[in-house]
Amino acid sequence: MPTFDFEGRAIPYEPGDTVASALYRADVRTFSRSFKFHRPRGLYCLTGDCPNCLCRVDGAGEVPACTTPAERVRAVEREGGWPSPERDAMAVNWRLRKLLPVGFYYKWVVGVQTWKRIEPMVRRAAGRSAIPASDGVELPIRRHVHPELLVIGAGPAGLAAALAAAEDGVRVLLVDESRPGFEVAPGPTADAIAELLPQVEAHERVELLTDSAALAVHEGPLVPIRREGELLVAEPRRVIVATGAVESHQLFAGNDLPGIWLARGAARMTGRHRLSIGTRVVVAGSTSEALEHVRTLEAGGARVERLLLDADAAAGVQHPALRVGGRIVAAHGRRTLRAVTIEQGGRTERIACDALVLASARVPRDGLLRQAHDVPGVSGAGEAVDPGCELAAALASGRAAVRAEAAAPAAIPAPRTCARAAGSGVACLCEDVLQEDLEQAWKEGYRSTEIIKRYSTVTMGPCQGAMCHHHLKAFVAERSDAPAAAGPTSARPPARPVRMSELAAGVRHPIEERTALHELHVAAGARWEWAGHWRRPSNYGDVEREYRAVRERVGVMDVGTLGKVRVSGRDAVELLERIYPCNIGNIAPGRMRYGLVLSEAGHVIDDGVICALEDGAFYLTFTTTGAGGAEAWLRRWAAEWNLRVNIVNQTRALGGINLAGPRARDVLEALSTDELSNESFPYLHHREITVAGVPTRAIRLGFVGELAYELHHPASQSRRLWEALFEAGRRYDAAPHGLDVVNALRLEKGHIIVGQDTDFDTTPAAAGIGWAVRGEKPFFLGKAELERRAGDPPQRVLRGIRWPGGAPPEGAVVTAAGAFAGAVTSSWDSGALGHGVSLALLQCGTDGEPPATVAYGDAVGTVGDGVFYDPEGVKVRA
Amino acid sequence: MGFLLTCPHCGPRDYTEFSFEGELRPDPYETPLTGMTLWARENVAGTQDERWFHDLGCRRWFIVNRDTRTNEIDADV
Repeated sequence: MPTFDFEGRAIPYEPGDTVASALYRADVRTFSRSFKFHRPRGLYCLTGDCPNCLCRVDGAGEVPACTTPAERVRAVEREGGWPSPERDAMAVNWRLRKLLPVGFYYKWVVGVQTWKRIEPMVRRAAGRSAIPASDGVELPIRRHVHPELLVIGAGPAGLAAALAAAEDGVRVLLVDESRPGFEVAPGPTADAIAELLPQVEAHERVELLTDSAALAVHEGPLVPIRREGELLVAEPRRVIVATGAVESHQLFAGNDLPGIWLARGAARMTGRHRLSIGTRVVVAGSTSEALEHVRTLEAGGARVERLLLDADAAAGVQHPALRVGGRIVAAHGRRTLRAVTIEQGGRTERIACDALVLASARVPRDGLLRQAHDVPGVSGAGEAVDPGCELAAALASGRAAVRAEAAAPAAIPAPRTCARAAGSGVACLCEDVLQEDLEQAWKEGYRSTEIIKRYSTVTMGPCQGAMCHHHLKAFVAERSDAPAAAGPTSARPPARPVRMSELAAGVRHPIEERTALHELHVAAGARWEWAGHWRRPSNYGDVEREYRAVRERVGVMDVGTLGKVRVSGRDAVELLERIYPCNIGNIAPGRMRYGLVLSEAGHVIDDGVICALEDGAFYLTFTTTGAGGAEAWLRRWAAEWNLRVNIVNQTRALGGINLAGPRARDVLEALSTDELSNESFPYLHHREITVAGVPTRAIRLGFVGELAYELHHPASQSRRLWEALFEAGRRYDAAPHGLDVVNALRLEKGHIIVGQDTDFDTTPAAAGIGWAVRGEKPFFLGKAELERRAGDPPQRVLRGIRWPGGAPPEGAVVTAAGAFAGAVTSSWDSGALGHGVSLALLQCGTDGEPPATVAYGDAVGTVGDGVFYDPEGVKVRA
Repeated sequence: MGFLLTCPHCGPRDYTEFSFEGELRPDPYETPLTGMTLWARENVAGTQDERWFHDLGCRRWFIVNRDTRTNEIDADV
């Protein structure tokens, strides 16, 4: 027989067992210790409604043992209780309960100093579950679905609703917290479910999801549904809540002793799991279902000592132990039930028994409905709106909910008064709120359901009021003349306990994109950084060597992440003329031009190059992180202006390798038969050339300030090209380099990186690249606003700073005359130049000029144009 | 709260696949937009034409008429 581990014991289980039934068979009776008084608690509802059997299952706290199938678990342990849940020293709290009334810590733990001493003790003693120590949590995924109708709860009403809707041609999503019928004792209800379920499962328009708990009903309606490994976000047109009802928890002294059962749970234990809940049983009830459960218990071998039924429920019932109109006033026993005291006709009687079964009036599981009371499109069906209704009524209610003309807001049943008895009945099982506590709260002036809830924490535990909400309402209704005071408390999400990881569902690790050369970088010892979604090498361990390779010989860099977009079609020139502030129409095929992308406000949002192709098309590059946005920008305006263009984002299809340094041409010539001389392929030109058999578009640019070729090529051939370049570059000691050294090399040239050296509101002029804007053009995006602001003195400009010693770190604040002068955006201690270089966004004075010198600590830097290396641009044209 | 948007190319999809650009504004090619005309928005509580981008799909821009209070989309626009 298969087993699971329970606190070191192997617990065998049978097919169909829950964790609770398997443990019960192994004679476990205490399933938890209560929150405050550490009273032993046993199985009670068996429908996942009460907090009594919440256990730690496979490391996860607060899992109801009674609805968790045994075959899914490996290890179970009880929570709380010291030294053990069976013998809990803290149970002394029950004897001290007069000292621990509701809100005791506000009352006698007065004064901050006292609280500081007491707080650690209270914190240790309180709480239900420890947060598992875990190195990492697998976050659930998040999935959106859009059924026409969502039905929550696959009981009789829910199944009938789903089937009726599907037959009307509606697409239905039907979710059940467990499995349909799993918690239902044998009887007519179980039979009805067994009959409807195959029809629902077979229907093509119904999707039935089991083990799927609806957590909330938000405006929309939007219903988050928790499932194994995913959070389903359902956004249906309509919602039918058919979550059923639960037999009401009753108030009498000792009402939480193990051995007291809600009748549906008792019948399930006997009828489904073949487990005896006791040999001498007292049944107390007020529902027509009670007799059904009595028969189930008797068939299981229990002897019903006494059957107490209300007059209504007793009509026509024949049973030797039947008494009409009696009620339970107390349950007796230390660790389990031994006897009950019943009162009938003014006489009390003590009856020895080992189980008490309560088949009382049912209260709706209406948390979701109460959350959604003002959400259009949400309605209820079955016992969730009509608790205690007959099976036929529940089925009819499900069908009617579908066919109702407009889904009316759910009616909330009026509070029902409940049998109340003197003595220390536990009203709220989750938070150990006693009947006396409610009375104390009332005496202290808390006189509505909402504020008694806040003061006493009644209804605030894991069961969210399933056991106690009706007591709270009845308690206030008996005492208050104001009907609103006894109204239901506000229900808020989540309706079921939620794990932190479930709240974070869909918050995934970042998307990681890799170029085709990723593995080669790994093999070369790359250190990595993020650039948007991309992983890019920062360096390969020796920045100095990488720097010298580019400046003195040849360096190779993977630039495959750059945005690469091809624009063609009749209106390609027109579109680009309107987008870019530079001229487009006069770029001869084979030439390229630096292009800024401006927002409508004239702020720099991206940059790159524009290559005019022989066929009239254009090949555009953008920054790594700006690629997607730039492509969307092109498409947006092409759509608005209705221009005939084809826009193809080739960012991922094409690889890019930059070959830079005085020896770059020598390396290429060794691998290509194309004409590469400076005369035939000069600076700011591009050519289609074949390198090592790989077709490439080579672009001569000078971002790093040296002779350079950016080789764009099919990404599938990146490795071949990369390896060939190193093979040919070996005689020049070619080195791969990463972003660190690019940052340094371009900074020495005063070249900016959009997004690093610019802010969200940096104009081209402020960035020192006003030359890239042709103001005489009739139109480009941002022109109107740039012209409007042309007369305004600049407030902040980007400038280079030369530091005699080391440069301050990026992000450092610099000062002038002791006042804030700006922030450093890029920095590099240039060993080759012998001084530090920075770019900084500097505040301008009233004259529109930044300060001539700025300070960082003791260092004083000279502000200039920022071009420190090869200012005449001889090297890039070599 | 979520809703479905009908992309002219891909059909009805979850709104999370789309980027929202905002209410439709004058074409800057026809009407130079500066200052308040550039920055200010009507921000209506009601129906408006607005521009959406199918970011995680076909990457098409399109215009829908949406009620900003209910997210109801007018299918005829």
